[in-house]
Amino acid sequence: MFRLQGSKVLAVEMTGDSVHAKNGSMVAYDGEMAFKKLSGGGEGLRGMVTRRLTGEQMTLMEVKGRGTCWFADRASEINLVSLRGDKLHVESSNLLATDAGLRTGTTFTGLRGASQGNGLFTTTVEGHGQAALISDGPAVVLRVTPQYPLSVDPGAYVAHQGELRQSLQSGVTFRTFFGEGGGEAFQMRFEGDGLVYVQPSERNTVAGDV
Amino acid sequence: MTVPVFDPATLPADGNVNPYTFCVELQGSQWFLQKGKMIAYYGQIEFNGIGHGALERLVRTSFHSPLHAGDWVVAQGSGKMLLADRAFDVNSFDLDDGNLTIRAGNLLAYQPSLALKQSIVPGFLTLIGTGKFVAASNGPVVFMEPPMRVDPQALVGWADCPSPCHHYDHGYVRRAGGTPWSSGVESLGAGGLRAMTGIGGASGEEHQFEFVGAGTVLLQSSETLMPEQATGAVPHEPGVPGGGAGHGGTGGQGPLGSGMPRMPGQLGDLQRRFGL
Amino acid sequence: MPFREVNSKMVEATVRPGQTMYSQRGAMLGYRGEVSFTPNLQGGQGGLASMIGRRVANEATPLMTVEGDGTVLFGHGGHHVHVVQLAGETLYVEADRLLAFDGTLRQGTMFMGSQGGVMGMVRGQVTGQGLFTTTLQGHGAVAVMAHGGVFELQVTPQRPVHVDPQAYVAHRGDLRNKLSTALGWRDMVGRGSGEAFQLELSGSGTVYVQASEEKL
Repeated sequence: MFRLQGSKVLAVEMTGDSVHAKNGSMVAYDGEMAFKKLSGGGEGLRGMVTRRLTGEQMTLMEVKGRGTCWFADRASEINLVSLRGDKLHVESSNLLATDAGLRTGTTFTGLRGASQGNGLFTTTVEGHGQAALISDGPAVVLRVTPQYPLSVDPGAYVAHQGELRQSLQSGVTFRTFFGEGGGEAFQMRFEGDGLVYVQPSERNTVAGDV
Repeated sequence: MTVPVFDPATLPADGNVNPYTFCVELQGSQWFLQKGKMIAYYGQIEFNGIGHGALERLVRTSFHSPLHAGDWVVAQGSGKMLLADRAFDVNSFDLDDGNLTIRAGNLLAYQPSLALKQSIVPGFLTLIGTGKFVAASNGPVVFMEPPMRVDPQALVGWADCPSPCHHYDHGYVRRAGGTPWSSGVESLGAGGLRAMTGIGGASGEEHQFEFVGAGTVLLQSSETLMPEQATGAVPHEPGVPGGGAGHGGTGGQGPLGSGMPRMPGQLGDLQRRFGL
Repeated sequence: MPFREVNSKMVEATVRPGQTMYSQRGAMLGYRGEVSFTPNLQGGQGGLASMIGRRVANEATPLMTVEGDGTVLFGHGGHHVHVVQLAGETLYVEADRLLAFDGTLRQGTMFMGSQGGVMGMVRGQVTGQGLFTTTLQGHGAVAVMAHGGVFELQVTPQRPVHVDPQAYVAHRGDLRNKLSTALGWRDMVGRGSGEAFQLELSGSGTVYVQASEEKL
C-alpha cells in the first residue's frame, strides 16, 4: 500500500482505510480523500537544537479515503521501513507517514551531558506495518553488531531500530595553529544489535564538528 | 524494494555508497577531512585538528594553506568512515602525478600523498601529486574541454589547463542598456548593471571565466554556489594578487578575516550563504 | 532546437544561426562557440508575452534571448530540470519555472476569467504573485525547473486529479481546472490560508507535479 514514485514521492493507495502523515505533505490525490489534524508527535533531538521546524511542534494528519494520495516533503528522499512487531526510533522531523495501524509515541532517553543540554527525545513507531522516513539525500542503512559499534554525527542521524544502546559521546578536540576553536564535537554512539539510518547531510546540527 | 544494509565488510573501500555518500577505508592510514563532513564511522578512528603536534610532519608535506587550517582535521586509525556534504553529489578523483585546482568549498577530503596549496585564483585550492581526493558538487560534475567560457558560479575547478581569465560580454552590457567600459570594470560588478540583471546580483551572462589551452574544466549544474570556504589571506606583498594594497576597505571580509578581493560577478559570502 | 539532458540538473542546447531561444536570466552555466545573450527589455515576443518577463522574480526583464552558433549549458539554483516536448499542443506553466525554451514556440498569457485565471487566483492567493499563467504553444522543447524533480500524473475523464498549488508545476492537454478543497483540509491548514485549496484538474491530459510544497 506504500509505494515509491521515484525516490522523493510516496504514493499510498487507499480503499477506505487511513494513513498518518506529516501535516501538509500531500502534493496530489485522486478519488475521495478526507483530512484530519492530529496532535502529538515529539520534538526530536535535532528539532530541539535547530530551527528546522521553525519552532513548530511536528504535527500529523490523518488521511482517509479511496484512491491514491501522493506525499512529499521539500524534495526529501523517502525511505520505506517495514515493521513486524519491532520498534523504530526516528527523529520526529524525519517521519513522513505511517500506516494508521502503527502506534507512535515519544521516548525520552535522558540527558547525556551535552553542553547544549540536548535531551534525547525521539519519536517511536511500533507495531506491524509500513513507515516512510524522509532524509536529506538517500539514507544509508548501517548494521550495528556487538563487534561493530557505530558512531554517527547527530546531524546525520535519521532513525534506528533493533536492540541498540545509544549514548552521546564527546571527546574530539581541535587544536589549530592558533589555538582557536577548541570546540568539542559530539557523536552518537550505537552499541548492540540493530540498524541505524543516516543521511548524507549534516545540515541541521550544532553538535557535530567533525 | 529492498534497501541494502551495510556493515564494515560490505561498505566499499574508498568508493561511493550512493551518489551522495563516500566511504573511506583507513588501515592505519591518514586522510585530511574538512570539518563537519564525516557523518558516521566504524572502527577506531581519531580526529585531530591539524595544529596537533603529532601531525607536524604530515602537515609540513601535505598542507600548505595555513590560514585555512581551522577548517581541517586529520582522520587516522583503522575502520571505515562515511563522508557527505549537505546531500550534494560527492565523487572521488584520482590524480596521477598531476594537478587540479578546485573551489575551496567543494573539497571534502584528500589523501596526504597529495599536497594542498592555495591557488593564486582567490577562493581556489590546488592539489598536486598522486592520490585520491573527494569533492562535492551541486549535481554531478560535468567535464568540458577548452576553449569555453563558464559562469563563475558554476565552476568547480580545472585540471592541467592554464588558469582562467575574465571575459566581459561587451555586447550584453550594451544590450542591457548600460554604457560598457565608459566607467571601467568597477561599474560592471558593482553598479547599475547588476541591478538590471535579475535575482540576487550579477548574472553569468555579463561576465565569465574563459578557459583556453589543453586541459579539463569541471562544472557543476547550478549557478547557486555552495557556501564559500575562505582560503585564508595571502601575504601582503607586491606582486601577489589580492595581497597588495588598495583592497583595504572593499569587498567582504571572509570568516578568517581574509582580504580576499571580490571579483565582479561574485556575490558576497553572506549573500551566498543565505542564497542556497 | 533540442535540449540534451546532461544530468538531472543541467541541459545543453545547441544554437544555430537564424534560430532563437529564450532562457531565464542567469541560467547560463557555460557555453562554447559564438553565442550572444541579450536581456529582453520588452519580454519574449512583446505584447502580452512581455508579461512572462514580468512574472519571473517580479523583475522587469528576467528573460534573455540566446542567439549565435554554439552550445550552451543551462541550469538554475540546483533545481531539477525536466524537458517537455511539444508537438503542436499547449503547455501551461508558471513563468518562474521556465529555464529555457524554443523561440519558435508561441508565448501567451492566460488571464483571470479564463481557465488560467482560476489557477491564477490560486497562485495569487498562495504566493501573492500575478493572476495569470504562461502558455507555450507549437512544436519545440521547453526546459522546466522543479524542486526535487517532477512526476507526471495522467488525468482521464474518469479520474480527475487534485494537486497542491504549491506543488503544481505545469500541465498539458485538454484539461479544465478549478479550485476545490478536500474534506477536512481547510480545518487542518487554517481557513484563511491560501493553502486551503487544491487545484482540481479534469479532462484528458497530463499534469506535472514536483516532489515538494516549496515554491521556486
